[in-house]
Amino acid sequence: MTGNDQTQNRRPVLELRGVRKAFGGAQALAGVDFTLLPGEVHAVVGMNGAGKSTLVELVCGSFAPDEGKIVIDGTARHSLTPRRAHAAGVSIVHQKRTLVAGLTVAENILLGRLPTRAGRVVWGRVRREAADALAGLGIDVDPGTRAGDLGPAEQTLVEIAREVHAGGRVLVLDEPTASLGGDDALRIHTLVRTLRDRGTAIIYISHHLDEVLDLADRITVLRDGREVATVSPADVDLPALVRAMVGDRLVHERVERVRSAGEKVLEIAALTSGRLTGFDLTVRAGEIVAVLGPAGDGQTELFRVLSGLRRPQTGRLTLHGEEIATGRAGAVLGAGLRCVTGDRLTFGLVPGLTVNENLDLVRRGRHRPWLVRWRRLHAEGRRSRARYGVTTLHEDPAVVTLSGGNQQKVLLAAWLADDPVACLLEEPTNGVDVAAKADIHRLVDGLADRGAAVLLSSSDVDEVVRLADRVVVVRAGRVVADLPMDLTTRDDLITLTAGGDHR
Amino acid sequence: MTTTALRARPGVGLPPGVSRHVGLLAVLLALSAVTALNSDVFLTGANLINVSQQIAVVAVLAAGLTLLMTAGGIDFSLGAIAAVTHGVTAQLIVAGVGQWTAVALALALGAAIGLVNGLAVTLLKVVPFVATLATSTILGGVALLVIDGKSISIGDNLMALGFGELAGTVPALVVVAVAVCVAAGLVLRWTAFGRNAFAIGGNENAARLAGIPVVRTKLLLYTLGGLLAGLGGVMLVARLGAASPGTGGLHLELTVVAAVVIGGTALHGGSGTLVGTVLGVLLLGVVTNALNLLQINAHFQDVAVGSVLLVAAITNHLRGSTH
Repeated sequence: MTGNDQTQNRRPVLELRGVRKAFGGAQALAGVDFTLLPGEVHAVVGMNGAGKSTLVELVCGSFAPDEGKIVIDGTARHSLTPRRAHAAGVSIVHQKRTLVAGLTVAENILLGRLPTRAGRVVWGRVRREAADALAGLGIDVDPGTRAGDLGPAEQTLVEIAREVHAGGRVLVLDEPTASLGGDDALRIHTLVRTLRDRGTAIIYISHHLDEVLDLADRITVLRDGREVATVSPADVDLPALVRAMVGDRLVHERVERVRSAGEKVLEIAALTSGRLTGFDLTVRAGEIVAVLGPAGDGQTELFRVLSGLRRPQTGRLTLHGEEIATGRAGAVLGAGLRCVTGDRLTFGLVPGLTVNENLDLVRRGRHRPWLVRWRRLHAEGRRSRARYGVTTLHEDPAVVTLSGGNQQKVLLAAWLADDPVACLLEEPTNGVDVAAKADIHRLVDGLADRGAAVLLSSSDVDEVVRLADRVVVVRAGRVVADLPMDLTTRDDLITLTAGGDHR
Repeated sequence: MTTTALRARPGVGLPPGVSRHVGLLAVLLALSAVTALNSDVFLTGANLINVSQQIAVVAVLAAGLTLLMTAGGIDFSLGAIAAVTHGVTAQLIVAGVGQWTAVALALALGAAIGLVNGLAVTLLKVVPFVATLATSTILGGVALLVIDGKSISIGDNLMALGFGELAGTVPALVVVAVAVCVAAGLVLRWTAFGRNAFAIGGNENAARLAGIPVVRTKLLLYTLGGLLAGLGGVMLVARLGAASPGTGGLHLELTVVAAVVIGGTALHGGSGTLVGTVLGVLLLGVVTNALNLLQINAHFQDVAVGSVLLVAAITNHLRGSTH
């Protein structure tokens, strides 16, 4: 559709030249060149932390680069703000949907620009303009529908229509298909192609590499803040793309363990809830099983059900053959299962309370004493902090004042203190620096060594490789593959999480 | 005073209830000093006893509300519960029920109404603000129905509570209020129930996942709030010697909420101290008394109380955002 000759003749609508950006000590972008042509779908891929988000934020004016230039329509923009970027026709559709749920599709499309006459909204024109905008892009959505009643794919379609209607010529789509199923994703792809044919320039961010190979005209691979390749999909295949993303970076050495899986401990049978449908899984004593999946929704649901936050539609949960009552956090804890959230400030810690009191929370929830014995609580807190390597400036500050890594250690210490029978660890090293990460990995190893059945829900492939004995791949809410880690390579896992098929 | 100020670093030396409230204490003392300089009556025993009796009821209701708000709850019906129970106590006594039996029944009624509020909030998941505003309105009507809109004298019943004195000086009402506040303060600091209130108010999801009985704790808190409001109603009728229209109700409620907020308890839960609440109650009592003694137009009182509340809310917000 877009021949290469044509590509070279067109003038770029957007260019980044030698752009660098650091946050604190971390170099998020270390000199990136990037060009975007009109009528082009330019995919940007990379691992977590490769610099994709930073690149997008710079283009949209959220912050300025430390060095380098952002050129829009041949003019270097030195003080780009989100408003100026928008005025220049650069629009972003975030992964998190932003329609106003209570308003109609038509109002959303014309939000902030409703046509008025003598101060009153001309509703006839609102409907007409919105209907034209949708029809012009081939989007089959009734402009009179309440936005909140739309499905996720339709919401994304309407958001894209809104940005195009507002004059967006450079469109950044940040993982538009991240939580969508196959058919819904295809509707997005169709719209992206329509926009490309109309001359819109599109930056397409996605973790789904098969989709990128199918849809993009060019693919830029970022790794550690650098542009490592910009290629045409015709010249590259999935494994090559994965290699470019991963590089020859030193893989964390897996600690050779002597432990072998024991008896069955945690059994999940025919679990149906939310995105999970007929989910089966068994974890044995001393075994670390990782749950991997493309979208992540299945993992979230698993946490909700196992922790007792939500009662599943169907399914049984057993620990050592004993059924656990679902939907009750107390029953789960009493049985010896600990579910440690990946979102510590929402589901794990009480931010305003002190470290020591947070460390006592789960114990108190389980034993339900009448009185609080502060002296013992502080003594236990000190011991626990020493054991888990929590460092604080003051004796016992509010947990919210700690760094992310220390908060995470407090979380793990509070929930895993009394050597649980089984546990679910959700993103155990979320937002944690390298040193804390290593500490936490040793800690998880220790849990399994002492015989706990560990279920690991992590989107960090390196972490899975480092920790897991077995990997379970979830797709569309079901287990589609169950692989022993010693027969699985890192590239296999990346391919699997990226939505490709296991070879 | 200077040593207090010097030691008032966060988390050093003083218990958390005191060091946080040095500013409030200073305002209270300054206001008292100014009033004393301008009025010969302020520091007389009779006036101080008068003030303390007036604020005793507010303190009892505020103690219950402090616990509840620490857990992220709110109850706008406490004043109305007091109004209903003060009427019910009077009617029971008039009907020939023994005075202490009447008190027990009034307390039970208060607790029952609190439990209903709690059930609406926890099981039916009505927003606390709406649920208790509704019960407050209902009970406001019920309070008038109970006494048929008339004043009902209880004769010399409940004299021991209304006019009794400990050691010949301290009014019985004040003894009750102090006992309630001390007990509530100890509960908040030393019992698992009290600490669970902090955890629930600070992060309800985390508390639930940690196995803390969230629903049970909340039910108990609303019930306790109702019970203490019932006690407040009994104290009202004991002090006035009669139940009458307009006693308790919304005005009392707003004073109680103001006192708790001035005392630094967060409306969204997760923090609160009884020391702060008591200081808030004292401050409002002194402000009202000072305006009376200095013969300032009575209509100005609401303006003053509202202003104090606003200043306190802003101060608390600023202090909170500097953390």
